[in-house]
Amino acid sequence: MAKQKSSNNPFCKKQRGTPTNEIFQYGFFSFATYCILLCALVIFGKIIWEGTPVLLRKGSDFITTKPQTLSVVEAVESEGIEIPTENFDNILGSNDDDALPFANIEEFQKAFAFKRFSLLPGSVIGEGYLKNIEQQNEGFFLIYTERNTENPVGFTVESDKSISLKTPEFEQLQSLAPDLLPDEISTREIQLNDHKVTIAKGEYAMSKTAHDALVPTQLIFQMRQGFPDDEPDKICQSVVPETQTITIDSTTYFAAFDEDENGTLPIEAEEQLPKKTTFHQFTLSKGNYSAPLPVLAILAKQGIATQHNLTRGSIVVNLDNPTELILPAADYDQLLTANPGIKVEGVADFEQKADYTRFDLTKDAEIRIDIEDLEALNRANQESGKFKISSEHTHSYSGGGILGPIVGTALLVIICMVVALFTGIAAATFLNEYARKGAFTKSIRLAMLKLAGVPSIVFGLFGLGLFVMLAPSLTSTPHTESKLSIPLAPIASTPQLRVVEDKKIHMETRELTTSEVVSAAKANNQAYFYDGWTYLSFQGWGTCMLAGGFTLAIMVLPVIITSCEESLRAVPMGFREASLALGATKWQSIRTAVLPYALPGILTASVLGITRVAGETAPIMFTAAAAERSDLPWEAVQATGFAAFVEFLQQSVQALPYHIYTVAGRIPQSEYTEPMQFGSVLIFMLIVMALAGLSIWLRIHFRNKIKW
Amino acid sequence: MNSMTQEEPKNIEPTANLASQAVDLSPPETPDAPPRQATEQSEVRHAETPTSDHLLGLNTMVEIDDLSFSYDMGKTNTLKNISLNIPEKQVTAFIGPSGCGKSTLIRCLNRMNDLVETSCITNGEIRIMGQHIHAKSVSPIELRKQVGMVFQKYNPFPKSIYDNVAYGLRIQGIKKKNLLDEAVEKSLRGAALWDEVKDRLKDSALGLSGGQQQRLCIARTIAVQPKVILMDEPCSALDPIATAKVEELIMELRRDFTIVIVTHSMQQASRISDHTAFFYLGELIEYGKTDMIFSNPNQKQTEDYISGRFG
Repeated sequence: MAKQKSSNNPFCKKQRGTPTNEIFQYGFFSFATYCILLCALVIFGKIIWEGTPVLLRKGSDFITTKPQTLSVVEAVESEGIEIPTENFDNILGSNDDDALPFANIEEFQKAFAFKRFSLLPGSVIGEGYLKNIEQQNEGFFLIYTERNTENPVGFTVESDKSISLKTPEFEQLQSLAPDLLPDEISTREIQLNDHKVTIAKGEYAMSKTAHDALVPTQLIFQMRQGFPDDEPDKICQSVVPETQTITIDSTTYFAAFDEDENGTLPIEAEEQLPKKTTFHQFTLSKGNYSAPLPVLAILAKQGIATQHNLTRGSIVVNLDNPTELILPAADYDQLLTANPGIKVEGVADFEQKADYTRFDLTKDAEIRIDIEDLEALNRANQESGKFKISSEHTHSYSGGGILGPIVGTALLVIICMVVALFTGIAAATFLNEYARKGAFTKSIRLAMLKLAGVPSIVFGLFGLGLFVMLAPSLTSTPHTESKLSIPLAPIASTPQLRVVEDKKIHMETRELTTSEVVSAAKANNQAYFYDGWTYLSFQGWGTCMLAGGFTLAIMVLPVIITSCEESLRAVPMGFREASLALGATKWQSIRTAVLPYALPGILTASVLGITRVAGETAPIMFTAAAAERSDLPWEAVQATGFAAFVEFLQQSVQALPYHIYTVAGRIPQSEYTEPMQFGSVLIFMLIVMALAGLSIWLRIHFRNKIKW
Repeated sequence: MNSMTQEEPKNIEPTANLASQAVDLSPPETPDAPPRQATEQSEVRHAETPTSDHLLGLNTMVEIDDLSFSYDMGKTNTLKNISLNIPEKQVTAFIGPSGCGKSTLIRCLNRMNDLVETSCITNGEIRIMGQHIHAKSVSPIELRKQVGMVFQKYNPFPKSIYDNVAYGLRIQGIKKKNLLDEAVEKSLRGAALWDEVKDRLKDSALGLSGGQQQRLCIARTIAVQPKVILMDEPCSALDPIATAKVEELIMELRRDFTIVIVTHSMQQASRISDHTAFFYLGELIEYGKTDMIFSNPNQKQTEDYISGRFG
């Protein structure tokens, strides 16, 4: 009975096909949904699975040390290897547990002899020695203003050295430092022909060797471009404006016209001029010497080691007060013998103790070791010779941690958010509170929509063109490649000699027009120029965190403006009206009755903006990120005061996403680079997730606190 | 009545407090206003003419002279040739069906309509205390300090009660704590709210009930000591009990301020106002003493509206 009834009901009749469809649709949609879950599981699972062991093994070192090159060395069995304990712990961290055949590990204290002394103003000191002092004494950086070429310099001859000089050099030596020459001097004559060569007019490829040899000769030629410092082997084009004939000695001949070498000039015609050259030969016996600078310059060519700058001369120490410094005892002794002009007082010996570890290597082993630790190991065992390496492979970026990239990303994000929030809130306030609703606001919104859709690599290129190469800066030493230099005022602080030398600044004392100064500076192969004027120079900011931050800011600006506007719109109109009705000006009412209540929304949106900005690779590739940088941005700053801040902003940085790209795609892959990849990605993901969490927390927190 | 409340001890009843405080708040140039107002009122009661004779003997605060106003750059007029005078220290009610322009008119009085970019006065002028308020020399900021406004939806800022009341003074640059404390207490007492909130001045204003929030908004308005208070349907979002309290407050405030109130409730208008203006489709149909309008209107439209035949 019941059955009959139900079959009569219209909604009990089965419609053919429907159920199968339903199941199919349900299946399809749920499959699509579960796919997302699956993808997330695979991605996060893989990263966490591979990354966690790396973090566990390296511990907090992974985020507190800088990226380093990893060396994989085969070390020979040895006993009593010594190493600073800190480095020893690092080595243990870099290798799998129990993989190393270390035995008899014992810690001990090793004492090093140091000297403490006060360097007096007016000392004259060689460049290399000064740099060593600066390296050993953190915080000591001498911005010298004067060099001295008159003062005698000292040098040490480690063992008896035979010297052979041509006549002019010998005569110079004889006149400048007759005491130096021993009684016994032999003379030898050697046939070295001079060459009379004719070079045809034309354009030639020229190497740096040929260029350097030809500069002192009488050949007139012009380089199409200069030789960059970092590419000494580059071949550049040069122009010989007319056919010339010059006479040169054989050294120049072989450097500039040897047919077997690349980048030498072809010869039109050649004639050999027989010539005998006299060599004076003598032996310089072991010991310490003191001589005028040109003498050392001549002897340095014969292989006498020195840290003096032979062309520019010694540095005059321009300290105001005696400065207390320390040096290892050996370095101090060398400093005193090499610099007769140095004045010190209050010299005292003291010992510095360091924790060292001594261990035995029970059999030949393969050790993974960061390059810094390897250097420490080599240094500590240099004398005993107990640490012997049979083979060594290096893997860039596979050692150390990721401190540099983390710091760089943080700095980029901070700069970006400061710029973006400042501009974004201002623009959103204008659009929402001030601007008339019309064609103008419509076109602005359209522009923002378009900006939001621009691929990030385009922003990168845009940042390169605008901020790195074109952005204006106020400087008294503009770059010679500046797009436009506008002289503003003839008040400029003269750069200190050290800055002039380090930055390669062309100092112009004549009254010339800007373009003439630029050509003069370029002719002298200098990168910057100074002529006593302050310039507004469109030379760009260089590859630096400021340029990167601005590029990122422009990229994230549409997002920030849109969310700021939404937050402003969510503030009830009543607040504005009430405020205005109480006699507030427009700005007062915006400042006190609108912005404070829009802030939580703006904050939440900007935290989300941060996560996006932190993950961008393309915009910073050209504008801010350095693949390789050994020091943190503030460690390279040497100026003081506000200039230090400017210099800090002009540092390039490493950045996490770019670092991941580098370790994953740009360096040769090996089993040793893999932990680095997963570790970096895991840390990066944790940071982004933490930021997203912060955003959610902020939203909940403010929702509870401010309601209307 | 006045002299009696002034002698009463302070916190027996909120309204009693209000009365004594309100005298303190009154502008210094008219210290003798309340007694005079009472006598004038009794005189007016005898006037029979429905036009503007009912204002005889009263000081005029706001003069609206042949005003036409447009929201769309003069294409259509929302207000058409309105002329009316609003007497000082009286409650004037604007009634009329939705869209008749009564809110528009009240927002003209403190130039809140300036916020609408396409709005403009197409004809006539408004004078407050004799000054043409749309003149170039008039700063809307200063005008609004003299002509305060209470809105339909109570809108305290999401700040503490104290900060809400002190807001108007703070933006005028008053920072001294004792001055602010004094003004906040005075205003809260003036708005009959002091006894309810004196122990939680630092609490959020949003924790108050709707009626309390609206009275807080009134306190906020009187803190800057305006001459005129405009009220745009102040009770439309309140329940009857809260409405009664606000009405009571308005009756007290009348002694110190000129009040213009827009209302949809005819009972409210008849209860609290001294004068009533009836608007229809942007035109002023009738303006007179409240008793006259409600008992014996001159115009048929007015009669139809108040007797509920339309609108």
